[in-house]
Amino acid sequence: MDALSRPAVVIDNGTGYTKMGFAGNVEPCFITPTVVAVNDSFSGSAQPAVRGTPARGNWLAQHSAGVMADLDFYIGDEALARSRASSSHSLSYPIRNGQVENWDTMERFWQQCIFNYLRCDPEDHYFLLTESPLTAPETREYTGEIMFETFNVPGLYIAVQPVLALAAGYTTTKCEMTGVVVDVGDGATHIVPVADGYVIGSSIRSIPITGKDVTQFIHQLLKERGENIPAEESFDVARRIKEMYCYTSSDIVKEFNKHDKEPSKYIKHWTGTKPKTGAKYTCDIGYERFLGPEIFFNPEIYNNDFTTPLQVVIDKCIQSSPIDTRRALYKNIVLSGGSTMFKDFHRRLQRDLKKIVDARVRASNSRLISGDAKAQPIEVNVVSHPIQRYAVWFGGSVLASTAEFYEACHTKAEYEEYGASICRTNPVFKGMY
Amino acid sequence: MILLQSPSRFLLQILQDRVLSGEKGMDIDCHTVEFDDVRYHIQFSMRNPKVMVLSVALPLPPPEAILYDGLPLGAIEAIKAAYGPVVQILDPPKDGFDLTMKINLTKLPLDEEQRNTILTQIASIREVVLGAPLKLLLKHLASKTVAPNVNNLVALVHRPNESFFLAPQADKVTIVYPMRFQDSIDIVLATSFLQEFVEARRTAALNNVPSCMWSPVPPLELKGVSADALNANAGFVTFVVYPRHVEGKKLDRTVWNLLTFHAYVSYHVKCSEGFMHTRMRRRVESLIQALDRAKSDAEKLKKLVHGGSFKRLSLKNEGDSRF
Repeated sequence: MDALSRPAVVIDNGTGYTKMGFAGNVEPCFITPTVVAVNDSFSGSAQPAVRGTPARGNWLAQHSAGVMADLDFYIGDEALARSRASSSHSLSYPIRNGQVENWDTMERFWQQCIFNYLRCDPEDHYFLLTESPLTAPETREYTGEIMFETFNVPGLYIAVQPVLALAAGYTTTKCEMTGVVVDVGDGATHIVPVADGYVIGSSIRSIPITGKDVTQFIHQLLKERGENIPAEESFDVARRIKEMYCYTSSDIVKEFNKHDKEPSKYIKHWTGTKPKTGAKYTCDIGYERFLGPEIFFNPEIYNNDFTTPLQVVIDKCIQSSPIDTRRALYKNIVLSGGSTMFKDFHRRLQRDLKKIVDARVRASNSRLISGDAKAQPIEVNVVSHPIQRYAVWFGGSVLASTAEFYEACHTKAEYEEYGASICRTNPVFKGMY
Repeated sequence: MILLQSPSRFLLQILQDRVLSGEKGMDIDCHTVEFDDVRYHIQFSMRNPKVMVLSVALPLPPPEAILYDGLPLGAIEAIKAAYGPVVQILDPPKDGFDLTMKINLTKLPLDEEQRNTILTQIASIREVVLGAPLKLLLKHLASKTVAPNVNNLVALVHRPNESFFLAPQADKVTIVYPMRFQDSIDIVLATSFLQEFVEARRTAALNNVPSCMWSPVPPLELKGVSADALNANAGFVTFVVYPRHVEGKKLDRTVWNLLTFHAYVSYHVKCSEGFMHTRMRRRVESLIQALDRAKSDAEKLKKLVHGGSFKRLSLKNEGDSRF
């Protein structure tokens, strides 16, 4: 049995959560927070000495401290639990805003993912990793270097997240590789138009409102109302409130009225125990249930620097794409990422976008002199599917189980011949670099 | 410190989810692979949400290892002994797999602790099946006897097409691993790792652990084994296990650790590679810092005027800008 006959490993490293599993499955094996807990007591002394020549004993101490720090770390939920339980470990988030920031912890994270979670031998499997559409070529090279040098993978493919999200929809509905992917993750929001599987690089938009901002906003609302939540947990509680109770409203004013009329029906309660004393506490969850997701549609309620609503950005993105793709793009707007999971998010987005598009069609029609051909109405369609949360992973799983996948991979032999530069370009950006 | 756990995390997660989820069931049909080519196929159907069909494929056996109906010696008995009424073995196994079992989750004990123990055991199916012959031999060692009708050299499946060898005696069992690695760097690292490993055994604190040797040539115990099974590029590791290492509860741990010795070494080789990369990256960073400090002020100014540090591509060097 060689690596080609084994399923490929698909790992989608997101800012918030990492999804990992084997190709050909419908669900990832593990969804775990992208976080590493490293032991601080060593890392401080493991830094290289700034100047001068340290004594030999010092060097030895540094060395063994480095070795220990190399082994003493945890990832995912274990890391969160560990950092809560003891102060010796501190959390490090290797990915920030969709980009890898700390390669040391990222390498360790992968190491644990492969050996401890998936429990596979990286030499036996092809790998599919993902990256955000705005990743620098150097980052891709780095990824390739780590994968080939450290883990000796036989083959690697670095896929672009939105293309995979589109590929995920491709199997559930029809063969459609043209569309706009609205990817709202925990750390990055991208709007990426894709035509026939190629990313239209010049039209990619990204907005500074992400899942983390929703959490932050809820956190702020709770704090301003003076809810009784212990400070050290408050952000975590806000995140969980977001994941469990938030929904998208069709009209804020109506929603406020509904809440005021029937508070018993709409206001939820959160119960938790304080980590230090173990005492129980409760807090109310009110307007933030619908105000949280609202920051995508009315960003001005959250921050003053960025006030363009999501639907306007999507519209602008499509308008800047080549003219012959626009209708197809409007027709297939695909949601992906955990922060599009709010109830009715796609309905709201479709309605708001439709409003903009219809207004434009009407305006252009009214400018016509009688007798001219009228503009056809434009079909706007926001697609939502149940696997949205890990659509990127699922797309990767589908892609990696096709026979063509193995041909598209960078192989170890190629890496040894040409070096990390083979990972530099990605064919879906044809013509960009 | 990093020993692999014997239950498969994924299997355990699925089992626990299913037990806790109550009545509502979903179709699950998934494949996973573990190191050394152990494959699992997990199936739940809508009609029977509490019945899991688990198929396991074992590594391809090397020619010198003896199997019974595709399973290692004593595997069926071991499964029956470990799980009791919860598990039913289906014969013949699914196509492409060596063992298919039906696990009835309604027959689990109600007590939570007991239930978790048995779930963990089901998740460690790999240890139960592959470790069965090893466990049998070591059990005899614990009672200081030799298992009847066993040769004086037994080959057991270790990895696909690779085996490790046991020489059972009444008072000790000698276990020899031929170590093989694919990558040339891995071979070097593994060889030095194993030498260090033997060296570490000599420290006073580890006086009671099994003695351990490494040699680049096959040890004497392996006389008469075919040459194919003996071409190891990272030498041979020998452990000598005495009855005190397999007493009571130690037995299970010993079996698992012996069974996954190659995975353990390979994991550490990868860890050391990662560690070296971290050091190299740090070194490069500190060197770049030193270079930056050495720059004169004029140079720094020039860079600012020009803007970013990207290499501009021009028509002249377009030819070589491909890489």
